[in-house]
Amino acid sequence: MPATAKPKNAPLKEWLRRASKLSPYLWILPALTVYGIFKLYPLVSGLQMSLLRWDGIEEPRYIGLRNFQRILSDEMTATVLMNNVHYAVGTVVGKIVLSLFLAILLHQALRGRTFYRTSLFMPVVMSFVVVGVLWSWLFNPQFGLINSLLRGLGLDFLVQDWLGDAAVALNSLILVDIWKWYGFHMVIFLAGLQSIPDELYEAARIDGASVWQQFLHVTLPMLHPVMIVNVTISVMGAFNVFDIPFIMTAGGPANATNVMALHIYIRGFKFYRFGFSAALSYVLLVIVTLVAAIQLKLMTSGDNTD
Amino acid sequence: MSAAQFSRQAAKRQGVYWRPLLVKVFNHSILILFTVIIVYPVLWMILASFKTPGELISNIWGLPASPAYQNYADAWEKARLGRALLNSGIVSIGAVLLVVCLSSIAGYAFAKFSFRFSTVILLVFVFTMQAPVPIIPFYVLFVRLKLTDSYLGLILAIASGTIPLSIFIFQAFFRSIPNELREAAKIDGCSEFSAFLRVVMPISGPAVATVSILTFVGAWNEYFMPLLLIRSDELRPLTLTIQVFFLQFGRAEWNVIFATLSIASIPMIVIYVLLQRWFIRGLTSGSIKG
Repeated sequence: MPATAKPKNAPLKEWLRRASKLSPYLWILPALTVYGIFKLYPLVSGLQMSLLRWDGIEEPRYIGLRNFQRILSDEMTATVLMNNVHYAVGTVVGKIVLSLFLAILLHQALRGRTFYRTSLFMPVVMSFVVVGVLWSWLFNPQFGLINSLLRGLGLDFLVQDWLGDAAVALNSLILVDIWKWYGFHMVIFLAGLQSIPDELYEAARIDGASVWQQFLHVTLPMLHPVMIVNVTISVMGAFNVFDIPFIMTAGGPANATNVMALHIYIRGFKFYRFGFSAALSYVLLVIVTLVAAIQLKLMTSGDNTD
Repeated sequence: MSAAQFSRQAAKRQGVYWRPLLVKVFNHSILILFTVIIVYPVLWMILASFKTPGELISNIWGLPASPAYQNYADAWEKARLGRALLNSGIVSIGAVLLVVCLSSIAGYAFAKFSFRFSTVILLVFVFTMQAPVPIIPFYVLFVRLKLTDSYLGLILAIASGTIPLSIFIFQAFFRSIPNELREAAKIDGCSEFSAFLRVVMPISGPAVATVSILTFVGAWNEYFMPLLLIRSDELRPLTLTIQVFFLQFGRAEWNVIFATLSIASIPMIVIYVLLQRWFIRGLTSGSIKG
């Protein structure tokens, strides 16, 4: 790659050669500096903070692994984590099933495809604040659209206090999350469907495969790469979710919608337990990493057996 | 879908010729149902922004008797939306400029030069870009650098999150540009950097657009970073302004809230509908290759 100059001045040539070897690093340096300082550094520097008892103002005190011991023995940790798991199962299953179903329908319905795609994708460009505030009114028990619709349809037994009832609230938030993202996942599935060659379906039809068999033995295996993408995105989203519960329920009622990211924020900035909050962040980090690794392992190991 | 096959299938089902039509009707009705589920609440929000508080309760489904424009005046004044729009605009455009500059230059290096540790650095990006940042050390860092409560701090906070993906998008795009172009520019006397700036960047519109849209929409809608870093009222972006306003007045003045929500989302929705191809490509570019 370095340009070959005539060997006239050996030291200069040597210097130029070294400089041109360094120059790629100069190109990446600005981006790397910003990423290193504001993303990588906090990932590391928090480790030391997680060993402190610190309110952010007074002199911090070193307490070893006490924060982690407390997290493991705290019942709240289990409650909050179970909410995350519940949220993950609900949103992932909901988003994947619904968006795959719609993508298959849209793949066939040629007329109006742009209209459907544009409309269904729209909530992606809306802020979670707008979506969250809007839906907290739609969920209003007396005047909200949802209960009004259910009453109108004569489905009074389904009418409930969507955000105020601890047994329902988390599922209501899951519905909002699915609402915001199903169009997004549908577009990704659609791109996957469009990349499947028609010949595969023709061959399957000649072999006498039914529509359902074609779905099972052609569509699903061919969609495997986009399936991994869609599941990974929604799983990561579910374990990092903050905006929806913070805006719509603030974790209530009675911690029914409290999730890890919210718990970390509340411990840190409402109770000023900086050390404990930092330790919680690493627990979340480990869980997210494990979940991602297990999920990728499960989904890619299927490749060999198929 | 040859004609022969079609007739064979039809014959198999003993002359059920209306079956394809039925499938079509089924497909469209399901798609319309789920489109209405998305679009109706947003349209309803816009309608509700023209209702009086009384109508919000008594007339849930209908049109407002006469549009209450006052809601928008109230929203503009009470929530100080003008200032909030300005703040969101500054931060979003700032983030776009910073991310496009830094990640195009870095992406070019990863695409065109071979150097030690390039794979290692890319792997560090892959493994850390999705990791949730521990907010306490993140916040303490911004306090120590005196970057809380400033546009620059917010821009850096948002940009640092999107840099890796943007580098990957630029890298993939630059790989597709033939090396001859760059060599020709260098023969004409351009340095490596001016070849990049004057020859490569002008034909990189698609990658710039993708990264810009991704960063702009993310920054415009970002809620958590301002919540963490912005203290003074004057610097609040739109998202934080709406949430604070919602907590202060929301329970009593829902009609004004709907006006705020409409002002916050309609411009973005209009731009999105006009440029939908670009937006959908940009916002899914992390997930779909190419």
